[in-house]
Amino acid sequence: MASFGWKRKVGEKVSKSVVQQFEAEEEKSEKDDGRVEEEVDWLHAIKRRREMLLEDCAAKSKRLEDEGALLAEQGRHWEAIKKWDEAIHLTPDNPLLYEMKSQVLTILHEVFPAVKAAEMAVKFRPLWWEGWQTLGRAQLNLGEVDLAVRSFQVAIHLCPSECTLWQEDLEWAQRLKKQQLATKEKIQQEEETKKQILNAPELEQDYDFESDEVLAACVAVAERQIHYEELRKTTVVMDAEGNIKTVTGDEGSEDTATPSKEQFVKARGL
Amino acid sequence: MSTQYSILFKQEHAHDDAIWTAAWGKSEADGSETIVTGSLDDMVKVWKWSDEKLELQWTLEGHQLGVVSVDISHNGAIAASSSLDAHIRLWDLESGKQIKSMDAGPVDAWTVAFSPDSKYIATGSHLGKVNIFGVESGKKEFSLDTRGKFILSIAYSPDGKYLASGAIDGIINIFDIATGKLLHTLEGHAMPIRSLTFSPDSQLLVTASDDGYIKIYDVQHANLAGTLSGHGSWVLNVAFSPDDTHFVSSSSDKSVKVWDASSRACINTFFDHQDQVWSVKYNSTGSKIISAGDDRAIHIYDCPM
Repeated sequence: MASFGWKRKVGEKVSKSVVQQFEAEEEKSEKDDGRVEEEVDWLHAIKRRREMLLEDCAAKSKRLEDEGALLAEQGRHWEAIKKWDEAIHLTPDNPLLYEMKSQVLTILHEVFPAVKAAEMAVKFRPLWWEGWQTLGRAQLNLGEVDLAVRSFQVAIHLCPSECTLWQEDLEWAQRLKKQQLATKEKIQQEEETKKQILNAPELEQDYDFESDEVLAACVAVAERQIHYEELRKTTVVMDAEGNIKTVTGDEGSEDTATPSKEQFVKARGL
Repeated sequence: MSTQYSILFKQEHAHDDAIWTAAWGKSEADGSETIVTGSLDDMVKVWKWSDEKLELQWTLEGHQLGVVSVDISHNGAIAASSSLDAHIRLWDLESGKQIKSMDAGPVDAWTVAFSPDSKYIATGSHLGKVNIFGVESGKKEFSLDTRGKFILSIAYSPDGKYLASGAIDGIINIFDIATGKLLHTLEGHAMPIRSLTFSPDSQLLVTASDDGYIKIYDVQHANLAGTLSGHGSWVLNVAFSPDDTHFVSSSSDKSVKVWDASSRACINTFFDHQDQVWSVKYNSTGSKIISAGDDRAIHIYDCPM
């Protein structure tokens, strides 16, 4: 029959220091096995030892957490994250650790890990508005504007008196959302116009080459090209008040007046 | 008529995101029962309760952000909704059309409550003012000042005499509506009061707070009549039964609890939701309870009469 031993459980995920501690304890208990075997209630002995270990983990995690916070304050971000990762290893359900880690990861531009960390924070403490705020900010950095708007709303719903949530986070995220929408619309418009140039409806029917219809069709195609050129030159711009405008770039330059050569060649080729 | 508490109906996936608020009304015109829900997905949905099941009647679009609170007028014809986009909207429940949209100003619309005569809508604001809008005019008609913090919850007494407000710092204020005077200030809780409700005889005020307790006050003397514990987390909503004998509470511990008003004991706990339960209400007779929450489900329970 297989005998029980701690070594069996040693895997990649178990930290070395913990394993050593276990081994030392095992040896110790083996030494005085003969003497106490009859007096000790095995169930309780094991239970008590686990409790002691848990307490140790919590205390050690707290120390690592504070060390990490200190390092983060001094701008030693990666070192702080290392400390917190160790602390997370000891107390994997502490939301504060994930939340702080997310903030520092954001500073380091590690956008995706920052979102992951903040998600853990809100998973373990869903009623904590600061966790949702951090998650929203991380999502915003990742470009997930819709998700960020949702996270900020959850945060506000939990703590509506927090002004920064309304005035900074939600407003900013909504502004970005509007801008994103406007950009998307513009790109769509541009693509539609392009499609129409490439398969112009005027070219689908046969023309009598002598007639005016050909001329009219050519003018229509050319106009559409100019329209496309203009669209390509405009950009979506948001001013300080959050108003969105589409602005034509290179105004006054020759390009706006005459369509590019490339397009002319294409039109003749058709 | 059932003799014990039981779950009667579940509407899973009633919204695309967390449901934050629900109301149950009865139409005076045809006696039909209407349920209105508001969600983080920006939608207000209107459901008909008939033959022991829910039927979606209208999906009301208009709010730009999550819907925080809904209420139904006492004749069952109009619904009011408030959203994080700072607008209060009024909806015709018969046609599903928007009647009015009122801009309450930034951060100035949280819980909405119809007055007993349904001529006014009260809502709290972040500066501690209770703003009262006219349903007919669509404008702010007057406001009551608590000189306190953000008001999360509002309730009219059914006799129309009092208005109570609960603030984020745990302070409760009771106003006399006729004179607009602040009658009582109660320091009942040290944490946000997310819901409060009067008993149908307007004698008692029940409050729910993030501290996990429910408190009962004698309105006339402003005395604390009882403190109830039982929820393991924030108490998010309370509602009184129309028969004056029971009230119901919901919590972020995922449970819905029914309490006996005279003995102040919890007589039933429903553990059917998967997540926080943000809203709980009785129907007009007290024979049913509705609850809804973060798990996007609407539950209807049967109550013994």
